[in-house]
Order: sequence, then structure tokens, then C-alpha cells
Amino acid sequence: MAKVTITVNGEARTVSVPPETTLLKLLREHLNLTGAKLGCDVGDCGACTVIVNGKSVNSCLMLASQVDGFDVLTIEGLATTDQLHPLQTAFEEKGSLQCGFCGPGVIMSAKALLDEEPDPSVERIRDALAGNLCRCTGYSKMIEAVQAVANSVNSHPSVKSA
Amino acid sequence: MRAFDVVTAKDSRHAVALLAEHAPTAKVIAGGTDLLADLKFSSHGPAMVVDISRVEDLKAITITDEGLSIGALVTHTAIMRSPIINDMFPALVHAAHTIGAVQTRNLGTLGGNLVTGVPSMDSGPTLMALEAIIVILSPAGRRQVPMAEFFLGPRKTVLKPDELLAEILIPKQNLGKPTHFLKFGLRKGQALALVSAAASVWVDVDTQICSAPRISLGAVAPTVIRAPKAEAHLDGRPLTADAMAEAGRIAASEAKPISDFRASAGYRRELVAVLTKRALEGAYELAKTKRRGA
Repeated sequence: MAKVTITVNGEARTVSVPPETTLLKLLREHLNLTGAKLGCDVGDCGACTVIVNGKSVNSCLMLASQVDGFDVLTIEGLATTDQLHPLQTAFEEKGSLQCGFCGPGVIMSAKALLDEEPDPSVERIRDALAGNLCRCTGYSKMIEAVQAVANSVNSHPSVKSA
Repeated sequence: MRAFDVVTAKDSRHAVALLAEHAPTAKVIAGGTDLLADLKFSSHGPAMVVDISRVEDLKAITITDEGLSIGALVTHTAIMRSPIINDMFPALVHAAHTIGAVQTRNLGTLGGNLVTGVPSMDSGPTLMALEAIIVILSPAGRRQVPMAEFFLGPRKTVLKPDELLAEILIPKQNLGKPTHFLKFGLRKGQALALVSAAASVWVDVDTQICSAPRISLGAVAPTVIRAPKAEAHLDGRPLTADAMAEAGRIAASEAKPISDFRASAGYRRELVAVLTKRALEGAYELAKTKRRGA
């Protein structure tokens, strides 16, 4: 067994897992964080996207032991009990999701982008979401939602994304 | 995935020692974007996986006496953000950008892309057109293999089980050499190349005569290849539109594409002619804006 200590959504957690366990499996099956989804399991669909040390990654393509000591942010870490993250609010207001399966991954990709680049062009948003497949929406309203958050962050510098 | 054990290397020496200890039943994991995707669908897996993702001494991009050294563990994202590479080789930045998507570029490494040995690898043609040298570490020491001799066939390289790809070296004489890369896929995002092409060339700004033209093609042969006849056609001649178009046609005759569900061999051959010409045009454009050694 591999002993893995990670900070998930601000909280330090230690678990023992078989060495071949992926980060996604660690999150879903050992820590009960089922927001990140198991889609293709080979890095094509992006449903498993989480943020590790500030960078968006496919959690299905990392071994749990590779993130030992690292900081992991999942979709569960964005909202508080009384307030959604601005991206979540924008996705809700714009009707950006339909079935919603891809949503956690898309929102984490968008968050990673906005954290690095608060005012991205549409081209940059498209590039940032290229690794997240959605079979329902056609993406337009997701891009509009990310733009809306980017604009609100810029017009109100005090509004920071989590 | 079948069960395996994982050992984590602290530095490159440790990685080589671990590989020597566990070869030949060990596999190396860096970014994991190819290895884990393969292992999930493989009926037999390695007994041991050597994790080199924390080997910091293979993550540097530096100018040395030998040239531009890119550590094998440099990610595609790191290549895209490197000021040195943006300045010297925008083609490498473009090639990195065509790989996968943000998430896979954040994980995947340059060395990892090369060791897969797949003919469609996006990092291959630009590096081959720049005559890159692969630096390999093993218990026997350090050896260098020219990129053109590194690939043996589809998914086959010269790497022995106890050898570690440590560094990719672009030789000093090619620093800043005007280079252009093009990839043709069926989509903009997350597509495998139907054909990719890279060209590098020095051009005398006064006479327009080109020297050391290098053309490399991806996805149209068992490995990434050079197109030596097309290169010979251009060497020492003025880089005219006709010459570049003819080099494209010659390159198409040097390619050995296959037909599969993505495209026919004939279509790929046509693409080679067009992409080679356009890669040469792109390199020529760059050459007009900078002089050798500048």
C-alpha cells in the first residue's frame, strides 16, 4: 500500500491506497469526493479535471502517489454552504449545462484559466476548455459564462474567485 | 489497471539506479498521459513503475556549451511558457500547443512524448528538423544519440530497459535557426496528426540562397523521418516559390504513408506536399527577420 498525504480543498488528508490507484480513484472512492467524474479514463474527455498545485490536470492520468504532499482543489472546494463560486453562479444563470456530467471538469478548467489570466480572450477560453468534452450544449453558453465572470472580476477588483 | 508497485526517484542518479535494479520488468512514469492510458487497457503490466516525476534535475531549460538543453521532464506547458524557447524556436512552442489539451500539456513531458515512439508525435518533426540529440543515462554512463537514429519503428526506440532519456539537446550551430512546424489534424483540439511537417533553414538575406535545409515529417512513415532528397533539392539554391513547391513534391515521394480510418495514403501524400511547402515558407518568413547568430 502507498501512504498518500494531500491537502484537498484546504484540508490535509492521509490515506493508504494500492500503488496503482489513480488520483481520481483516490478522490472518488477513498475520500468520497465524487464531483470529479470518471468519463473516458484516458485523458480525452476532461470530466475528471481537478487543480493540482495551481494547474488543471486529468486526475485519471496521475497516480495518487504522484500527488503526495501536493495541494488538490476539486469542484467540492469552490462553493461554501451559503454561496456558490462566481463561475457556478454564471453557469447557472446562463444555463451553461444540460446533463451536467462534464460540468465539474469544465468549471475547474475555467477556474484554472481565470486564476492565471483574469481577462482571457474568447480564443483563450476556447483553448482552455478544449480538453473538456460536452455532448449536450455546444459550449457557447459555457464560454459566455466564463466571459461574464472575467468581466465581473475586472469591473469589481474586490471580487476574487475563491 | 493490474496491480504494480511504485518507487519514486529523488534525482536522475537515483532514477538510473532504480531502473537498473528493476529492469526489465519496470516501466518509467513521468507525466503518465501515455503510460497510464496504455496500462488501463493492457492485459499485462509491469511489476514495478519507477516514478521520475519528482526528478527536479531533469526539468530545466538552459543554454549550455553544447546548445539548448531541454530536460526530459519539461512539460509541454513549460515549453510554451519558456522565454528562451519562445525567442529561439517559436516552432517548438507551436508544436507543444498542438499536443492534447491544457490538462495533458500540464502533465505530459517532452521526453515522454519522444519515448512513445509513435510516428504521429507532435514534438518529433521540429526537433528532428533541428537535428536534436537525445541524451541517455544508464549505469554505463551518458550517451548521445542523434534524433534521426533514435526511433527504430512504431513504438520502438533505441532505449534499453535500463536506460533513461534524460535530456534533449538542440546543437549550438542550430540555435535560433528559422524553423516552422505545421500539423494537420481533423480538429483543432485533441486530434492526432494526419500529417505533420517541420522545416528549418538558414537563408542568406542578400542572395536568398539557403543552406542546411532540414525537412522532417510525422505520421507518414513507421517513425518520424527526414526528407533528405527534398533537402538536397534546396541546399545552396535560392528559396523561390517554385523550389519550395518542388521540395514539397519530392518530400511526398519520400513519405511512406498508410491508409487508415483517419485518412487514405493518397490524401496523406498530398498533405505532405502542401505542408512541406508551407513549413518551408514559414521558416523562410522567419529567416527574413533574423540573421544567423542573431
